Amino acid sequence: MLALIYFIVLAVIALGAAACVLLSRHPLYGALSLIVSMVSLAGIYGLIGSPFLGVVQIMVYAGAIMMLVTFVIMVLNGARDSKTPMFDKVSLFVIPAVLVLAGLVGFALVRAPLAFDATTLRGSVALTSRSLFDVALTGPGYFMLFEVLGLLLLSAMVAAVLLAKKRLGSVVSENTEDKH
Amino acid sequence: MELQPIYIQILALAIFAIGLMVAISRRNLFFVLMGIELALNAVNLSFIGFAKTLPADMSVAGQIVPLFAIAVAAAEACVGFAMVIMLFRKKESIDADNYSNMKG
Repeated sequence: MLALIYFIVLAVIALGAAACVLLSRHPLYGALSLIVSMVSLAGIYGLIGSPFLGVVQIMVYAGAIMMLVTFVIMVLNGARDSKTPMFDKVSLFVIPAVLVLAGLVGFALVRAPLAFDATTLRGSVALTSRSLFDVALTGPGYFMLFEVLGLLLLSAMVAAVLLAKKRLGSVVSENTEDKH
Repeated sequence: MELQPIYIQILALAIFAIGLMVAISRRNLFFVLMGIELALNAVNLSFIGFAKTLPADMSVAGQIVPLFAIAVAAAEACVGFAMVIMLFRKKESIDADNYSNMKG
């Protein structure tokens, strides 16, 4: 019963913040409400028994990724779109289509028999580290994925630095100060 | 009244729908990327909710895969916002309709 009350409070906060993302005009307000939505989702993760994922959600998503987002929004000061409208005519067709899709999926979900399993494992730090790094116990699958992920993040970082650089491949760009 | 798995799935579905709406219908490039982040969050929530309905050994995957999804989302946001910076330098506009010259 208490879990349900906590869930309803966190779900209302998450849904309200998500609606704020849809309806806010300035990107910075959208990013801040997205952070609120992510933090309350982290609370739900902890509530249903994955505390490690909740902490990772707060640290990586609400901390690192959204920091990057707000930083980019504030760097590009001209990002405030006071001239361009929020929605256009295509939205008149997109929003009902998405609602119908959600209704269909929700209908299929409600008909499916779902129940919590009593023997399910709690997603603690011990369980996560054991299944990620204990190669003798779980096989090398997750560990290989973890290594590939390091490569992916490294290449993403290099790609981001190359993309955001001012003039690619010119010697002058390394010495001159960025005026923007 | 207890917490049921279907409530978690319905919440994930609602957040995914809102994220999809933001990504498709907003015209600001930042909101497009933020909508994708919102939809990815909803998918993670759905993963964890389904993992709680599985017996012991099978529920481990539902705890691990969202970690990888979060890391891939970090890489995606990194490259995506670098592209936004590049596009903004080129045209001084973040209206997505100004970048429709690749639609053929």
